[in-house]
Amino acid sequence: MSDWVLEVDNLSVEFDTYGGIVNAVRGISYRVAQGQTLAVVGESGCGKSVTVQALMGLIPMPPGRITSGSAKLMGRELIGLSASEINRVRGADIGMIFQDPMTSLNPTMRVGEQIAETLIAHKGVSKSDALQQAVTLLDRTRIPEAAKRARQYPFEFSGGMLQRVMIAMSLACKPALLIADEPTTALDVTIQNQVLELMKEIQREEGMAIVLITHDLGVVARMADDVAVMYAGKVVEAGNVDDIFYRSTHPYTAGLKQAMPSNRRGDHQSLNAIPGSPPDLFAIPPGCAYAPRCPHAMRVCAQLDPAAQSIGGDHYACCWLNDPRVPPQRNAAMEHGE
Amino acid sequence: MRPAASPLNTDDFLPLEQSAAAERISRPSLSYWQDAWRRLRMNPRAITSLYIVMAMILFTLLGPYIWQVDPATQVLDEISRPPTLGRETLLVEDFKRWDGVQVEIAAPTQRASEQLDAPTSLAFVGIQSTDAVRISWQPVAGATGYAVYRHELKPSGVNDLGLPLGEVEGAGRVSYEDRLGLENRRYYYSVVALSGREEADRFATIEIDLPASITLSEAAYRGLINADVDPATLVGTRIRLDAHPLGTDYLGRDILARIIQGARTSLFIGITAPFLYVLFGMVYGGVAGYLGGRTDNLMMRFADFVIALPFLLFMILFKISFGIGPGESGIMPMLIAMILLSWPGTARLVRGQVLQIREEPYIQAARLMGAETRYLIFRHMMPNVMGVLLVSLTFAVPSAIFTEAFLSFIGMGVVPPTPSWGSMCNDGIRTMLSSPHELIAPAAFISVTVLAFNLLGDGLRDALDARMRSK
Amino acid sequence: MLQYIGKRLLSGFLTIWFIATATFIGMHSVPGDPLINDKAVTPEIRKNLEQRYGLDKPVLEQYLIYMRNMAQGDFGISFTQQNRAVNDIIREHFPVSAILGVLAIIFAAAGGIVWGALTATYRDRLPDIIIMFLVVLCISVPSFVFAALGQLSILRLNEWLGISLLPVAGWGTVAHMLVPSMVLGLGTMAFLTRLMRSSMLEVTASDYVRTAHAKGLSPLRIFFRHQLRNAILPVITVLGPAIAGITTGGFVVELVFAIPGLGRYFVQAVQQLDYTVIMGTTVFYGAFLVLMVIVVDIVYGFVDPRIRVEKTH
Repeated sequence: MSDWVLEVDNLSVEFDTYGGIVNAVRGISYRVAQGQTLAVVGESGCGKSVTVQALMGLIPMPPGRITSGSAKLMGRELIGLSASEINRVRGADIGMIFQDPMTSLNPTMRVGEQIAETLIAHKGVSKSDALQQAVTLLDRTRIPEAAKRARQYPFEFSGGMLQRVMIAMSLACKPALLIADEPTTALDVTIQNQVLELMKEIQREEGMAIVLITHDLGVVARMADDVAVMYAGKVVEAGNVDDIFYRSTHPYTAGLKQAMPSNRRGDHQSLNAIPGSPPDLFAIPPGCAYAPRCPHAMRVCAQLDPAAQSIGGDHYACCWLNDPRVPPQRNAAMEHGE
Repeated sequence: MRPAASPLNTDDFLPLEQSAAAERISRPSLSYWQDAWRRLRMNPRAITSLYIVMAMILFTLLGPYIWQVDPATQVLDEISRPPTLGRETLLVEDFKRWDGVQVEIAAPTQRASEQLDAPTSLAFVGIQSTDAVRISWQPVAGATGYAVYRHELKPSGVNDLGLPLGEVEGAGRVSYEDRLGLENRRYYYSVVALSGREEADRFATIEIDLPASITLSEAAYRGLINADVDPATLVGTRIRLDAHPLGTDYLGRDILARIIQGARTSLFIGITAPFLYVLFGMVYGGVAGYLGGRTDNLMMRFADFVIALPFLLFMILFKISFGIGPGESGIMPMLIAMILLSWPGTARLVRGQVLQIREEPYIQAARLMGAETRYLIFRHMMPNVMGVLLVSLTFAVPSAIFTEAFLSFIGMGVVPPTPSWGSMCNDGIRTMLSSPHELIAPAAFISVTVLAFNLLGDGLRDALDARMRSK
Repeated sequence: MLQYIGKRLLSGFLTIWFIATATFIGMHSVPGDPLINDKAVTPEIRKNLEQRYGLDKPVLEQYLIYMRNMAQGDFGISFTQQNRAVNDIIREHFPVSAILGVLAIIFAAAGGIVWGALTATYRDRLPDIIIMFLVVLCISVPSFVFAALGQLSILRLNEWLGISLLPVAGWGTVAHMLVPSMVLGLGTMAFLTRLMRSSMLEVTASDYVRTAHAKGLSPLRIFFRHQLRNAILPVITVLGPAIAGITTGGFVVELVFAIPGLGRYFVQAVQQLDYTVIMGTTVFYGAFLVLMVIVVDIVYGFVDPRIRVEKTH
C-alpha cells in the first residue's frame, strides 16, 4: 500500500566476519505512515541500526549482505537500487540523524556549508541560494543568530545545538522520512527534551514520517505513535504505543519496562536488570533467541522460533506464551508481570 | 530446528530447565598479553619478521664460530673478488729466473723490413701462469731483433697487435718473458721481426687462456697445501682457493667475515642503545608524569632542552671529546652519545601515557580501594605503558641502526678497521660500478634487518593497539 | 590567529638562540685548541684569528663576541680555507641544498598524499598490498643505497637509450635535479604514505563521513571535501620535522651525486675539523629548520579551523 511511507518486509542482513557469518538482522518487518513516528526499541546489538543502514544502502556490501526481504519508500523498492540511484534517495527522500552530533559533522567545514551541500547536491540550487536556505533552516530549528552561526564550525557549538544543526541538515530537502538513530542518547536530559520537542514540531508542520531508534523507553513514551521491540535481530513485539506500554505480552518487553528506574517516592528497590546478555550472533541457538533469559521459558521455546501472533488490531508478538496450548497458570504468572 | 509442520504436544509447554547458560561466557578469557600474543601470531608478516630478527641475532652470536675466517686478513691477490666458492688455481713453482732462448746465428744479415718473414714455430715454453708467460720462436733471416705484442682480442692486422710489451735485440734472441700484470684471461701474443727500427709487415700470433695460478710459497704461506707432502710433486696440480661466499673487498678481506663482525657492531649499537635509552626515558618520563606539577614541568624543560640540541653536531662533539685512542673501535663513545641524545623522545612518550592513564577511572577506583602508590605503578600503570613502550623500542632499533650506518658512512662513526655495516657501505660505494657486491652485501643486511624490525614493530602495534586506543 | 603566529615566532627565536649557545658551549668543551691542531697556520694568521675570535680572552667574552657576530650575520672565516668567509660558503652552497630539499619535499608530500589515499581507498586489495610493500622497503633501505641505485639506474638508462639523457652527477640544469631530489624524497615519501593511509582509514571510518554518505553526496565530493581534506591534517603537522630528515639525508645525496650543496661542505668540515664552518653551518641549519617548522605550523593554522578560529565559548 503506498499509504505507508516506509514498508520493511522480512528484511535479513548477514555479515561475513573472521569468526563466521553474523546474522545481524533476521527477518524484520515494520512500517510507518505519513506524519507518524515509529519507535524501534532494543538493546545494543539487536540490529536496529543495521536495519535502517541496510535500507539506506550504508552497509558495505563485501562483508555485508542483504539475504532477503524488501524495503519500500513510498512504494518504491530500495533494496537492489544501484549506487547512484540510492544516492539520489539519501538526503533527498530520506533524512538521517545520528547519535553523536559532535563527531557526525565535518570539523573543517562551516556548518552552513554542510547544510547547503545537501541542497546543492539534490536540488540543483546555487551556492548562495543554498546558504540562504541553510540560514533559514537553522533559524527554524531555533538556533539563535542563525546567520552568524551558519558561518561557524562544529566545534563552536554545544551538543544540543549541534543536534539541531543535524536536524536542520537532514530536513533541508524536505524528505518524506526522517530516520533518527539514537538522537538524544549523547545529550543531557534537559537538552533531550528540547530536541525531541523540536522534532515533533517539525513533524507536525511538514508531515514527514519518523523512524526513531532508541533504547530509552522514556523517549518512546514521549514521541512514538507505534513501537517495534527488537531482540537479537528480530521484532519480538509490535503495536501502537499504548499496546506496548499497557498491554504488552512478550517477556522481553516486560523486562524492559521493569528495568526502567522508577522515581516514585517510597520506591526502595534495587534496579531490575534482565539477567544474562544477548546471544552471541555467531551461534544463535535454535528456538526463541530470548529463551535463555526468559523467566517463563518453556521447552518449546528452546526448540522452535515462535511466529508472530496477533494480539489485537495491529498489536502482535512472537511468543509461545500466546499459544492457546499454554497451561493457564503460566498465563496468570505472566500477567502479574513476573 | 524442527520443521513447523511437526505437531506439538502438551509436554512441550512445560517450563524449560534453565542452566546457568544465560550467564555463561562463550569464549575463554585471555589476559592482555595472551590476547596480544595471539593476535601477533596470526599476523604472518610479524611472525616472519620475528624469525628474521631471531635469525639475525643468532647469526651475530654464532657466526664467528661457524665461519672461522679472520675478517682482518688482507690478501692483496684477492682484491674485490666477486662471490666465489673458491676458485681453482694452478699450483706453480716459485718464480725462477729464466735465461731465455738464445740461438747462434752463423752469419747475421740484415734485410729491409718489407722482406722479413713472420717468425715461425712461435710457441709457449714451460708452464704458463699468471706469474709469467714465456714464448719462443725460430729466428727470422735478416732480422736484427723482434718486437713482442700482447692483445686481449684477436689481432686483425699488423697495426692492431695490441700492447707493445717490448723489443728484443739481436737476431738470436728468440724468446720473451712477460710478467706484466697478467690475469687469468685470454691473451694473444704476436711477434714481429725488426729491421733496425722498422717492423716487418708479417707477424705470428699465438693465443692462450691463462689459468689463475698461485706459487708454491704463496700457497704454503696461505696454508692451502698440505705441509707433509713434498711440494715438488704438487706443481702442476690444481688447488682450490678459499671460498668467499660474499666476495672480498678492496683490501682483499673476506666480506662474509666482515659482515659477521660488522653485525656485532651494528646490532650491538642498534639494540643496546635503544634498549638503554628507552629504559632511561621510561623511568624519567614515568616519574615526571606521575609526580606532575612543577617537578614534571622542570623535568620536561630539561628534556626539551636535550631534544633541541642539533643531533649530528653533538654526536660528533661527543665522539671527539671522548677521544679515540689508537686501537679502539669507537663503539662506546657512539653508544654513549646516542643514549645521551635520544632518551627525551621516549620520556615524552611515557610521560604523555602516564598523564593520560593517571586520569583514567580505574586508577581512581583502585586508589579508592586502598591501593598504594607502588602497587598502582607496577600493577596498573606499567603494564599499560608497556605496550606503547614495546612498539617504540621496536621502532627505535632501525632508527639507531640507520644513525650508526649514516655516521659511519660519513666517517664519523666507528673507527677503521673495525667493521660496521655502515662503514662497509661507505667503502662499497666507491667501487659500486666495478664491483657492486661490496656494496650489496652490507646494504642488503642493513635493509633486511631494518625491514624485519619495522614489520615486527608494525605487527606489535597492531596486536597491542586495540586496547591501547582509548575510545 | 595572529596570536598563534606570534607565539610561534617568539619560540622560534628562543630556539635559534638556544641552538647557537649550545653549539658554542659544545665546541668549546672539546679538549684541545682548534688552532693547535692546524699546523698550517702561520703566526700572523694565528694572531689575526685570535684577535678576531678573542681566543685568548675568557670564555664569556668569547661568547659575547660570538653572539654579536652572529647577530650581525657574520659567521666568521673558514679555518681550513683561510680566504673564504663562512657566510660566503653558506651563500654559495645553501641555495643548492635548498632547491634540492624543496624539490624533495614536494615530491615526498605529493607522492605521500596520493599513494596514501590510494592505498586507503583500495584497502587490502592489490594496489594497497603492492604500495605498502614498497613503502616498507623504502623505509628500511638506507638513503645512501638509494642514492647509489639512483646513479646506477641513470647509467643503465643512458646506456640503454644510447644517449646521455640524464646527467649522472653534478648540478646546473633541471635534468640534474630530477633524480637526486627523487632519491632524497623517497624515504620521507614512504613515511608520509603510511601516515596518510592510516589517517585516511581513520577518517573514512569516522561519523562525519557516514553522515556525508547518508546525505547522498556524490562519492567524489565525499572523497575530496570530507575525507582527503581531513586526512591531510596530520600529514601537514608532520611536514615540519620531516624537512629535518630531508636535510640530514641531503648530505648523502650531495656526496654521491657530487652536488655542490651545503651538506657536502658540512661533512667535509666535520672530517677536517673546520670549526667555524661547523658552527656556522649548524646554527644556520638550525635556524632554517626552525623557520620551516614555523612556516608549516602557520600553513596548518590556515588549514585547520580549530586552530584558526578563537574559541568563543
